Amino acid sequence: MFSSTIERLQPTTPAGKKFARYTGILAVLVVAWLIPNYLATGTDGPLPLFTVVLCAVYALFALGLNIVVGFAGLLDLGYVAFFLFGAYTAAWFMSDFFYQVNPRDPSDKQFAINFHFLSTASADIKGIHISFWIVIFIAAGIAALAGLVIGAPTLRLKSDYLALVTLGFGEILPEVFRNGDDVFGYNLTNGTKGIGPVDKIGMGFLSRLPGIPATITSSDYKTKYYVILVFCALFMYASIKLRDGRLGRAWMAIREDELAASLMGVPLMRTKLWSYAVGAIAGGVGGAFYATIVGTVNVDNFTFSFSIIVLCSVILGGMGNVWGAVLGGIAITWFNYTGLVWIGTQVNKGFGTSVDLKKFEFGFFGLVLVLMMLFRPEGFIPAARSKQLKKADKQVQSIETAGAAS
Amino acid sequence: MFGGHPLFICLGGGNHANERQYMMLRKASALLVALAVVATACGSDKKTTTTTPAGGTTAAGGTTATGGTTGASGASLVISTDLPLQGASADASADTNNAVNLVVEQAGGKAGKYSITVKPYDNSTAAKGGWDDATCAKNANDHVANKAEIAVMGTYNSGCAKIEIPVLNQDPTGPMLMVSHANTNPGITKAWDPGEPDKYYPTGVRNYGRVIATDDLQGSAGAQFAAQDLKVKKCVVLNDAQTYGVGVASAFASAAKKAGIEVVATAAWDAKQPNYTALFEGFKALNPDCVYLGGINDNNGEQLIRDKVSVLGPNTGTVKLIAPDGFTGYPTVQKLAEAQDMYITFAGLPASELVKAGGAGAKFVADFKTKFGHDPASAYAIYGAAATQFIMAAIAKGDGTRKGTLAAAFSGITVPKDKSVIGKEFGIDKAGDVTVRDMSIQLMKGNVETFLKAWPVS
Repeated sequence: MFSSTIERLQPTTPAGKKFARYTGILAVLVVAWLIPNYLATGTDGPLPLFTVVLCAVYALFALGLNIVVGFAGLLDLGYVAFFLFGAYTAAWFMSDFFYQVNPRDPSDKQFAINFHFLSTASADIKGIHISFWIVIFIAAGIAALAGLVIGAPTLRLKSDYLALVTLGFGEILPEVFRNGDDVFGYNLTNGTKGIGPVDKIGMGFLSRLPGIPATITSSDYKTKYYVILVFCALFMYASIKLRDGRLGRAWMAIREDELAASLMGVPLMRTKLWSYAVGAIAGGVGGAFYATIVGTVNVDNFTFSFSIIVLCSVILGGMGNVWGAVLGGIAITWFNYTGLVWIGTQVNKGFGTSVDLKKFEFGFFGLVLVLMMLFRPEGFIPAARSKQLKKADKQVQSIETAGAAS
Repeated sequence: MFGGHPLFICLGGGNHANERQYMMLRKASALLVALAVVATACGSDKKTTTTTPAGGTTAAGGTTATGGTTGASGASLVISTDLPLQGASADASADTNNAVNLVVEQAGGKAGKYSITVKPYDNSTAAKGGWDDATCAKNANDHVANKAEIAVMGTYNSGCAKIEIPVLNQDPTGPMLMVSHANTNPGITKAWDPGEPDKYYPTGVRNYGRVIATDDLQGSAGAQFAAQDLKVKKCVVLNDAQTYGVGVASAFASAAKKAGIEVVATAAWDAKQPNYTALFEGFKALNPDCVYLGGINDNNGEQLIRDKVSVLGPNTGTVKLIAPDGFTGYPTVQKLAEAQDMYITFAGLPASELVKAGGAGAKFVADFKTKFGHDPASAYAIYGAAATQFIMAAIAKGDGTRKGTLAAAFSGITVPKDKSVIGKEFGIDKAGDVTVRDMSIQLMKGNVETFLKAWPVS
């Protein structure tokens, strides 16, 4: 009995399953292509393209948090920190922020940097303007570094205590940025005023291909969608490869039993730090992209509710499952930005009522989560491991029941 | 014995690793549910104000692109409003939409030869309880994409306007005109912070106007009034650490210094604090005779007012209390005992003054009350109607295209006195600022904001 349970827990991929998997990936790609071209509904309706883009951004965030929470089992309530670093990196390197000359008094200047590199910004807008494609790497680097810095002191902590400390970081960082307009007399974050406008994304040599513009204009959601789709796909691929590799198995060993993992020779510190760093990269990339689609980085945007929404996405989709995280991110974002309003409008139209469903948003979130926990606690798409565990558990239970009955 | 039911399997699993994983799931979800419940409790106590847009969203949305661009006689054009319909500003926004609809209705739904409908947009989310930057970006692009829309009335928040203006400015068929009734941040139209205001107008063409005076003027009015009428000497200047609050507080501080008032302390108040007694105790030793609250009431303003009175004494005593228009239009502040006798500056004239002045302004306020059964929740509702009047004047003079309407708006047109809902002829200058700079000082008395005097600003 016991040996068969262990066998079941081994990852196995029979040939038939492989075919099914490739068909599945192909189907997802087809749907991903259909969305902007046929399924999206312009500015109103159930699926505006802007919401689709936001869904993809949040799916990326969910993928990142899934590595920390789902794979390594470290409950992180401060994911907003990585989003913040990504967005501010884009703001710093893709705007006029570092050309701080007071227009009312030109002698009053702190930074007067004017540096353009492969940017879409016009030459007469001063400041630091670097190509989005380079900034993405800087943002990923800064976020990963932030992940290490935040991760390092929390390594000794477990479960609830870890959650509290990460929650603290998530609350402190926005306050630091809010007050960062006077760091020993230097303005580093522009405080409450926010930084903007952020430059647009240039497509460089890709614009020679048909249908791809040289610069993604603010209303060109289709191209933005393809850009974020590429990031999502890359991160999904990386997540799956990491999960099945040495590091991923080490993460899961820590998740299941930290003490046992360390006795088996898993270097706890290094492995945990890796999970923070890799998870943070998705936050940084997503944050930088978000800054370009909104056009402004505003400190009021980085709230605790962001961390909660991303965590909800991961739990709803299925902790530890890559596809689940994506699905959870899409579902919650759609619900948040379009779904509730659209459903409300349909209800009001159908029944002649005037209910504002949006006001009950958190109530719905809570209800959905309670129902999920009652009837499907492992999420929409459970991780393969929890599915197998549950099956094994059922067998143990039935044997025990049989034993008790006899 | 519990076999079969999935709930009991997952809760009662004997396997150690399994149990750990589900424990974590349960902990995380219990936490989330608790948070969700708290958030719902906080968010759902706002009273709901139902609006009945005269134009109706579906009718407006249904109009096709042909009318907007050809400019044929009788073409149907859409003016959209862009306001935070959820959160603390919901009441003010609902009445602004009401006022906009009323003013269009009173004009017979026509501006010149064009028939006008109103399409309301919401730039807030429930999760934030106020304006949301991604929603502002989406709305801006939607304004551009919906070809029947000719101009935008809004936004309420300056931060949101700074996101939307560059998008409307780069409209390939425009730039598209936006006229705000409530943006008081100076940087949108004036040289204020580095790069402002040119960075909001990438095409180099101005497409933004406002019918309300800016914070710098409001701060000056407050400081001059404090020095000349209240004869105060030492002020404590507080801000709520948000864009508006910091801006208006620094404008007050610099004007106060010019007017001979000593600014003995400047500090930010944290909206999340349960009380501010410690903050005010710290100021006691400085012997201030005035406290300025640069910020908005949404940021725990009522508690701040209560603690000012409990520590530094009543507002009629030695320490006066002055606040900007971030504290106007809140019934909860008006009814607060400690808020009585505080002075509030307002960039514009309150509804009561419009009624007193008679003419078109008084008539509009009366009509509003007849139609909706209450006075406008905020004076901004009246200014929303004024902004709409200005947009309609521009449409009437223009050629039915966005470009033509914008050119007409900046050609020096005005809304004449006999029609103006603010009771005075007004227009916008080349920068987009309103030509009439009414500033008023209000005094909280008998649970209402009473008009004390008009304060001329230069």
